[in-house]
Amino acid sequence: MLRRQEQLTGLFFTLPYALGMLVLVILPLLAVWVISGTSWSLLDEPRWIGLKNYQRLLQDPDFYHSLRVTTLFTVGILVLNISSALGLAVLLNQKLRGIGIFRTIIFSPVVMPVVAWALVWKFLLQPEGPINQILASAGVQGPNWLFEPSLALWLLIVIEVIKAVGLNTVIFLSALQGVPKEMHEAAMLDGTAAVQAFFRITLPLISPTVFLVFIVTLIGALKLFTPVFVLTGGGPAGATTTLILFMYKQGFSFFEFGYASAVAVVLFVVVLGLTVLQWNLRRRLVFYES
Amino acid sequence: MRANPYWNALLVAFLVMVSVPFVVPIAWMFLSSLKSGAEIFSSPFQLDFAKLSLDNFREIFARYPFVRQYLNSLYILAIVIPLTALLSALAGYAFARLRFWGREALFILTLGAMMIPNELTAVPQFILFKNLGAINTHLPVILLQVFSATGALAVFLMRQHFITLPKELEEAGRIDGLSYWGVFWHIMLPLSRPALVTVAIFAMLNSWNDYFNPLIYLNSEAKLTLPLALQRFTDPLGGVFWNLTLAGGTLVAIPVLLLFWLAQRQFVESLANSGTKG
Repeated sequence: MLRRQEQLTGLFFTLPYALGMLVLVILPLLAVWVISGTSWSLLDEPRWIGLKNYQRLLQDPDFYHSLRVTTLFTVGILVLNISSALGLAVLLNQKLRGIGIFRTIIFSPVVMPVVAWALVWKFLLQPEGPINQILASAGVQGPNWLFEPSLALWLLIVIEVIKAVGLNTVIFLSALQGVPKEMHEAAMLDGTAAVQAFFRITLPLISPTVFLVFIVTLIGALKLFTPVFVLTGGGPAGATTTLILFMYKQGFSFFEFGYASAVAVVLFVVVLGLTVLQWNLRRRLVFYES
Repeated sequence: MRANPYWNALLVAFLVMVSVPFVVPIAWMFLSSLKSGAEIFSSPFQLDFAKLSLDNFREIFARYPFVRQYLNSLYILAIVIPLTALLSALAGYAFARLRFWGREALFILTLGAMMIPNELTAVPQFILFKNLGAINTHLPVILLQVFSATGALAVFLMRQHFITLPKELEEAGRIDGLSYWGVFWHIMLPLSRPALVTVAIFAMLNSWNDYFNPLIYLNSEAKLTLPLALQRFTDPLGGVFWNLTLAGGTLVAIPVLLLFWLAQRQFVESLANSGTKG
């Protein structure tokens, strides 16, 4: 009797959430695969065309370009975000009066509204904007930052990392504070240099955290939309059109639902593949205490 | 490291330098919101206290439906936050403590939903809401927030939290004759404040910042939420009124920054306890 009651309660408690997830996440995820096999625009009825959308993707130079942009963008954000977050966490873990102020400062952009953050940088980087005014006073002619194809993507990476690095820093900081002090002191007595101690002792100990942060940051970078859309809109000349932006344009500017869904499927396969890969790598790279 | 005054001075100097790109854009936005359009270009880094004014804010409210858009964002928050908190607490509690058929499968789906970017499923979602006649309403914007990857993350965080609470509390409650709901509502939920605060902050940040869904679903000025509204301070040719945009940005940023500073301790603690310890 009790078991039955527990069974019913469990279902009842999870039902509202599970129902919403089913209708708004799981079914749409299945539907994306089906729609990707059709030709479907806003006005037309869907028409089954099999793998034609995928053939078209394979011949679309814009698709390859957005794949390349997404790779650069994701790798850039991962490397810069995680290395700076680790570095900042080590610095902010020092015993120092007023260190809390610096922790707050590094974290503040995390809670800045994304659009406000992007718009501020858009203004700062204008041809006649404050940054170029500073450069001009030093006698340097600043570039038109966001309209320079070779610059725009790297700027987006840097702006996004400054915005987001605080969250990873706080997570690393809490992991660092869980590392037993004795282990470091023993290393110091042995004469091991601090840098070596960090790579040999601290890093392996916090590797589960590094792994978690790695996955979250990777998926975050793959789907990043707002700052790119606000700062460059995918330009100049497509230089910052990521896969998500490419999909958005196909789907909601050109209303090519089938084609956009094929892009979504590709991105889904990429996300899934990377997650499985990381899961397997984890066993070899991540050190668990117990 | 050893307490070496030179080392400390060097560290502070370095941290001050690093802080510049983090703090300057925010501070600069706040200060510029008090300057005229001409002034933020002509003297972006000077502060003439005599010339500072609240004109930008007055103009935003007078010339644009900004109050309406602000209220849109607020009332969406007022639905999204409690709904996310309640649903994720219920599901998280069930996943953590109750044995029932389908629990494993549902939980694995939840973990999967955490990994799937919301944007990937935008096309079928759009078709669904179009068929429901919900275009240019707030319904999709609200529902897609509650049941997005953020919702799944909220369920996961709540489950992690409930696992850490002592079982004896529940057993005592059961012996006193409370139902499962009674145990959940009167005993477990009141003990979950830090976790609920974390979930609420994530829900708030994601809803307040949501740009993608409003971009797809909302098209009339009066229905817009703040992230899109911030880009509407333009002249007919598309030139941006930067003084108004920065003032609007300030109005959008202040409540989030304030609320975060109020809840900071609970947020960071709960993040440290639930997020990283597998």
